[in-house]
Amino acid sequence: MKKAPPRQEHEITQLLAEWRDGNQAALDELYPLVYDELHRLARRYMSRERKGHTLQTTALINEAYVRLVDQRNVQWANRSHFFAISAQIMRRILIDHARRQTYAKRGGGARQVSLEETAIVVQDDLSEFLRLDEALKALAELDPRRSQVVELKYFGGLNNDEIAGVLKISKNTVIRDWNMARAWLHHQLTGSAST
Amino acid sequence: MKPERWQQISRIFNRAISLDDAAARAAYVRENCGTDDDLKAEVEKLIESHEQAEDDDFIGGLAVEDVAEHFTGDEEERALQKGQQFGDYLILDHLGIGGMGQVYLAQDARLDRTVALKILSADVAADERRMQRFRQEAKVTSSLNQPNILTIFESGEVDGLTFIAAEFVDGETLRDYLRGKRLKFGEILDIGIQVLAALDAAHEAKIVHRDMKPENVMIRKRDHVVKVLDFGLAKVTEKKKSASGEEGLHEESRTEFKTAPGLIMGTVNYMSPEQTQAKAVDARSDIWSTGVIIYEMIAGTKPFGGTTSAHTIVQILEKDPAPLAHAGAPEVPQELQRIVAKSMAKDPDERYQTAKDMLIDLRNLKKRLELDAEIERSAAYPTAVFGPPAITTIEDAKRTAESTVAGISKTKAALIVALVAIVASVAAVVGIYVWRGKRNTPIVPPPTSVTPPAQPRLTYWITVQKYKDGKPYEAPFDLAGEINFEADYQIRLSIRGLQAGYLYVLNEGPTGAGNAPEYVVIFPSPTANDGSEFVAANQRVQIPNETWLKFDKEQGVEKLWLIFSEQALPELAGVKAFTNPRNRGLIDDAQLNKTIDSFLSSRLSETATPEKGDTFTALKTASKTLIYPIRLEHH
Repeated sequence: MKKAPPRQEHEITQLLAEWRDGNQAALDELYPLVYDELHRLARRYMSRERKGHTLQTTALINEAYVRLVDQRNVQWANRSHFFAISAQIMRRILIDHARRQTYAKRGGGARQVSLEETAIVVQDDLSEFLRLDEALKALAELDPRRSQVVELKYFGGLNNDEIAGVLKISKNTVIRDWNMARAWLHHQLTGSAST
Repeated sequence: MKPERWQQISRIFNRAISLDDAAARAAYVRENCGTDDDLKAEVEKLIESHEQAEDDDFIGGLAVEDVAEHFTGDEEERALQKGQQFGDYLILDHLGIGGMGQVYLAQDARLDRTVALKILSADVAADERRMQRFRQEAKVTSSLNQPNILTIFESGEVDGLTFIAAEFVDGETLRDYLRGKRLKFGEILDIGIQVLAALDAAHEAKIVHRDMKPENVMIRKRDHVVKVLDFGLAKVTEKKKSASGEEGLHEESRTEFKTAPGLIMGTVNYMSPEQTQAKAVDARSDIWSTGVIIYEMIAGTKPFGGTTSAHTIVQILEKDPAPLAHAGAPEVPQELQRIVAKSMAKDPDERYQTAKDMLIDLRNLKKRLELDAEIERSAAYPTAVFGPPAITTIEDAKRTAESTVAGISKTKAALIVALVAIVASVAAVVGIYVWRGKRNTPIVPPPTSVTPPAQPRLTYWITVQKYKDGKPYEAPFDLAGEINFEADYQIRLSIRGLQAGYLYVLNEGPTGAGNAPEYVVIFPSPTANDGSEFVAANQRVQIPNETWLKFDKEQGVEKLWLIFSEQALPELAGVKAFTNPRNRGLIDDAQLNKTIDSFLSSRLSETATPEKGDTFTALKTASKTLIYPIRLEHH
């Protein structure tokens, strides 16, 4: 019924342009605005997911984009910047979310507690998810660009062309970076990890 | 790892995996690594991981999808978060889950008022029939304007979510309000009168509620004002002329009576005979249901209640309910019995024909009881209006009923006493005599100067949610006591202290032989009662507040230790520190566990005595601290 007020659309479009032109302060202002929108969408998405209504992959961020950004003034550069920041934010939202849930798992896995609150019970795959985030941070130390490719693809839902556009690299480089990063992360999570 | 090394590894890795043939890959790696065995090992490891990652489709989807799969619990159902803006509303808090979706406390920025915001859940929104009900509720209720009907401010859609903004009532439903205590006749009449006033207004507007039950009646905490809600099933009675040409409430309108299991659970008890048969339903059906509610308030049990909905329906159609005088309220005023019986006549033609008629009868009765009480009081009856104040156990409840009614039946004698205008001193003697006769205690000193010793009392009940294949099934139900639980049942514990005091709930799980017990603090909890262990008199504490308690896979006997005292207990002062997010209640401090253990064992002989009621267990004790272990066996 009610769309985001136009003032905000302009604001976000403006901030994206400023950020693109190198104003880092614009990112600080942009972050909370996009965060709120994505957070809301992610929650809605997840409740739908559990009921079997699956959204298309990038639909979520697209929806945020459409809602937040002044459509009369769309520029590709703005859009890719929006996606880049969104991927980062999505990562933070999801990790925070998973952390809150697993946080609760009682300290020291050896302990048996026979009666516990339900909301804090999460499947182990979520702690796996948190380990992935840790591994991705380690990868960023080693190779920031490859870690960014993973962030954009896995958290932001961008395709290879879009990633190439955001990072200003060739599509083939995106594919190569992805393969290497994925193999490395997989090894970190499953292998005996001596690296 | 040095960047050059990393680049070297990735170059060889990427070339190698671009080769399809395994032998060619191996040859390429061998060739390019030369004698550097470490390099070769690194690259081979990555190639192996790459192949596995391909096979597993590792991080092949979207993170949000991967995460979504793994969330459980009610919390995730919520579409809105605290502090979030939703249209013109600022979300302040989550209030609970209603039949149609989540309910939030919100601030309406335009009018600066607090509202209850009901958001339709996604599956309801997809269900046209239920959408219809939702719109209906908004439309119907907003056309009514009466202080005992919950006011609907507006309804609409924001961000694809359908909502209703309604008056926020800080209080509890009659169902919760009734639990763990028995009401005095005066209060029962107050509630009945207000419910009927609401129905009278609705009926005047040609609206039949059709779903009257204690769950749909709210009691506001501040002033005990009653609000009737959920006109979701309401239907405007059709305006077409009947055969007699009379337009009005007794027109036919069919109830949709679907026998979907779960949908009817708990609702059928209040249905009128005509409603259970899917016959025409009119205002008189609401009168029946109100009669059932009043019966339940008096007796403490429902008049009709079989083991299944079908059994209950048969009772509704064929059986007369047990007379109130025999159903837990031995000396209910005759007039009240008559009113309830008339409202529950099987034949609608023999019932009260309008809510107003029944309302007038209840009002008159109330005036009479008040007058009687006034006379009683002037005759120096030592306690206040409508009987002794503290109902603490089922026995007490019965006694209160008796004494209240005894007071009423003495009306005439008391009236004569008053009329003959005996001097105050004589009246006082009569009062003391009455008081003495009741309590079997010495004549002096008068009760006002005596502070009774603190004997903590509380009531508790357990709500059970069954699970099947990881999903809740059937509506949650309440238990007065313990049963054998299936491993995947989830439970909530509700406790009501009859006086203010400090409450602790500790879980002692099954311990292996020789192991010292390790306790878990269930209450106080950061998620209930603002983290405090102090509870007010008559306050209901639900543990956990929003989620559930779940057993682990091990079978055995859990003990939930209830500890309640008017004074804070130094032995348990330390437990609160373990309710932090890291411990989540687990006391991993051997010394404290030992202290608790010896505290509990030293008082074993003073364990409280349970008294089972229909919907709750009452605990009482002669000592200063009430201690009781609830045993939960699960397998």
